[in-house]
Amino acid sequence: MVNRQINLKNAVFAAFILALCLSVPGFTDSYMLRVFNIAWITCLCVLSNYVLLGMCGQNSFAQAGLWGVGAYITANVVMKLGLPPLVALILAGLGSGFLAFVLGFAFFRLRAYYFTFASVGLMTILNGLFMNWTPYTGGALGISNVPSFSLGSLVVKTEKANYYLIFVVCVIAYLLIKKLYNSALGRSFMAIRDNEMAANCLGINSLLTKSIAFGITGILCGVAGALYAFLSGYLSYQTFTYQQSTMYLIMLMLGGTSAPSGAVIGTMIISLLQEWVRPLQNYMQLFYGLGIVLLMIVQPEGILGGGRALYEKWLSRRKPASTVAQ
Amino acid sequence: MNLQLLVSGIAMGFIYAMVSMGMVLIFRAVNIVNFAQGEFLMFGGYFCYMFNRQLHLPIVPSLILAALAMGVVGVIFMFTSYWPLRNAQIRAIVVSAMGASIVFKEGARLIWGSIPVTVDRVVKGTTLIANTAVVQWQNIAIIGISFALIFFVYLLLERTFIGNIMQATAQDRYMASLVGIPVVLSIALTFALSAFITGVGGGLLAPLFFLNNTMGYTTNAKAFAAVVIGGFGSVPGAVIGGLLVGLIEAFGGAYISTTYQLVIIYVVLVFFLMFRPQGIFGTRIQEKA
Amino acid sequence: MRNGSAAENRPVLSLSKVSKRFGGVVAANEVSFNLYAGEVLGLIGPNGAGKTTLINLITGVTPADEGVITLFERDVTKLPTHTRAKLGIVRTFQHPRILDRCDVYTNLAVGADLASRRRAATRSGRQARLEQLLELAGLDEVNLRDPIDKLSYGQQKLLEVVRAMLSEPVVLLLDEPAAGLNRAEMAHIVKLISLATADKIAVLLIEHAMDLVMSICHRVTVLNFGQQITTGSPAEVQNDPQVIQAYLGGAASAAR
Repeated sequence: MVNRQINLKNAVFAAFILALCLSVPGFTDSYMLRVFNIAWITCLCVLSNYVLLGMCGQNSFAQAGLWGVGAYITANVVMKLGLPPLVALILAGLGSGFLAFVLGFAFFRLRAYYFTFASVGLMTILNGLFMNWTPYTGGALGISNVPSFSLGSLVVKTEKANYYLIFVVCVIAYLLIKKLYNSALGRSFMAIRDNEMAANCLGINSLLTKSIAFGITGILCGVAGALYAFLSGYLSYQTFTYQQSTMYLIMLMLGGTSAPSGAVIGTMIISLLQEWVRPLQNYMQLFYGLGIVLLMIVQPEGILGGGRALYEKWLSRRKPASTVAQ
Repeated sequence: MNLQLLVSGIAMGFIYAMVSMGMVLIFRAVNIVNFAQGEFLMFGGYFCYMFNRQLHLPIVPSLILAALAMGVVGVIFMFTSYWPLRNAQIRAIVVSAMGASIVFKEGARLIWGSIPVTVDRVVKGTTLIANTAVVQWQNIAIIGISFALIFFVYLLLERTFIGNIMQATAQDRYMASLVGIPVVLSIALTFALSAFITGVGGGLLAPLFFLNNTMGYTTNAKAFAAVVIGGFGSVPGAVIGGLLVGLIEAFGGAYISTTYQLVIIYVVLVFFLMFRPQGIFGTRIQEKA
Repeated sequence: MRNGSAAENRPVLSLSKVSKRFGGVVAANEVSFNLYAGEVLGLIGPNGAGKTTLINLITGVTPADEGVITLFERDVTKLPTHTRAKLGIVRTFQHPRILDRCDVYTNLAVGADLASRRRAATRSGRQARLEQLLELAGLDEVNLRDPIDKLSYGQQKLLEVVRAMLSEPVVLLLDEPAAGLNRAEMAHIVKLISLATADKIAVLLIEHAMDLVMSICHRVTVLNFGQQITTGSPAEVQNDPQVIQAYLGGAASAAR
């Protein structure tokens, strides 16, 4: 009974959020809409970070690199091979995911910290390739005029159309991650995060499982890269940087690592905050840095953790009252 | 063998050695990779600029004052970005250090602007080595000063009472507090020493490469590679790793490609991680059963 | 459950001359024993005798220096831990290794996941099995959606046994399941072990609570400094002068 009430509440809440998100193009100009589009693409990468760090407990700084891999694959597949954008989108996800999965096998043989180090290395190497491997990445000039996404005769050209495309992909990714959370695979991620030895003793292969988690990260980032390529039409190595990867981590930590909604909240807050305080640009970055330090001190579990603590406090305050009523 | 390249490679290597040594000091004390270590170098350089160019002091006192100021910055950094989080998850501390590095970067921009600046050389001019190589005196000064400082810090750690206290705290904080070691003080001292030795590098580097507020990241990336290549947690490893990175950078830049410099370093890093993850000097970090 | 009486005669798990040294310390010296389906083999010995090490060797958490470990005559000595688990060697830990940031349900489900990965049981029976195990463990009142740290230490230890049982193991290795438990919780452990034997699971039990060992084990093997002193029925072991000297002396009189 109570459960059903909660489910109903959740459904209403989800519908409200969905309606709000879908109505964004209605009340924003095209500049702000571009901000939202980039934010949702970023959100995919931060969600991928949620899978790897939040669920599997492995910290990577290579997400922006994998994002770039997806973007450059898309540009090459569409412009050089002339294949349809949908094929490029899928290939970007698979390609980036495969790369991450294979590298995961090498990197996760290393224990503890070393994966994180290796991921910083991967990020740096990928960025170096983006900057220098001119035949496929355009080198320092980048690649311009990547065509928009299209499906048959339906061309996703306007900012608004792109918004719906990107948002739908985000929702699908979000739902799949929710599904993953309740699956055996998701549980094996969490088992490794919480107690790797117990996980091994329950038949979970650490190397394979972590590599799969990294592979999923690759897929999500790759798809995000494809969407970025279609949206922006111009790819430059300066976009896919280590700093961008650290930003993903910060966004996830701000939102909270305990649920995928943390990734969405963190991404949206930081993406929009950067726009809204643009007038204060000169001091913005400073306050941003201070804010991060302060947040980690006050609430290292992020906004989700803070919200949960508040909710529990509220519950415990309510409980004595209800027992009296009985 | 290109002697000129060798000398400048070693000089840069010593700069990286000081950064990575600072990184290792903090890692050994609190088990955290300090993602703001490169910013210490940048900030130290700007302090040196302030004393040397804005307050018109000679370069040597400027370097000393800058290093001391960095010691204070290190303590402030420790009390604001690490100490309140000492019991939190490691990733929270990592993110906090990233936040702090943004603060450093933006702070430097707001105080000193974003136009690259420089400071005086410790020794001006060039010299001829083995009749073939024209070497800048500044490079040789960097090698001398860095070597002396690294040696000084190493002696301080290994041969003095303060060093013993710091090492004891690093090994087992709880035991250290039981035998009456003031843990906060010891950790603060470690951060101060770390920022001190890294900060000097900024002032030494400035005449060769100019200072700007975004240089922390690449420095950090190279020092980080040096630390891993040398062997995580090992002070001699950090120094050797730093030198190696400096040399790889110099020769890789000259013979392969300057644009691929950082990539070459990181290919070496990944190679090390795959085949010798404990680095040159490190012992394998094992997980407790 | 497993293929009838023919299987009863041959051991499920067999250790032959398994040795492990840590530097100069001999943690296991040519330890050999057989473990049969449906039996509880007690493994006792003073602290530091190498009991937990033996479980680590059987599960592959620590590799053996010498000797052969077989499961249904298949050599598993060199297999990694997770493969052995997939073959049905499942353990618990002295201090419960729970998934501390997950809820009770997830903690239990990872056990059941192993069962489905090995295709050990039919899905239709799973819910009933879960309810049965939770009831035996006295955890049936627990809300499965609660975070795991709401459970007491004893409940967490019981939950770990339930998790292991949910994986439908062939061999169940229990490392001091009753340590730190109160009387009521200990009774639940006994019930769970009884169910395991009824299900023809081969159980290896490390335990310090002598009354529990003596009442529940079919055979007992005694370890001291990595050396196997004797193996026999509880009564035999209890009266073995060597054992009394090495270990039981104090404990045996306390148990009376």
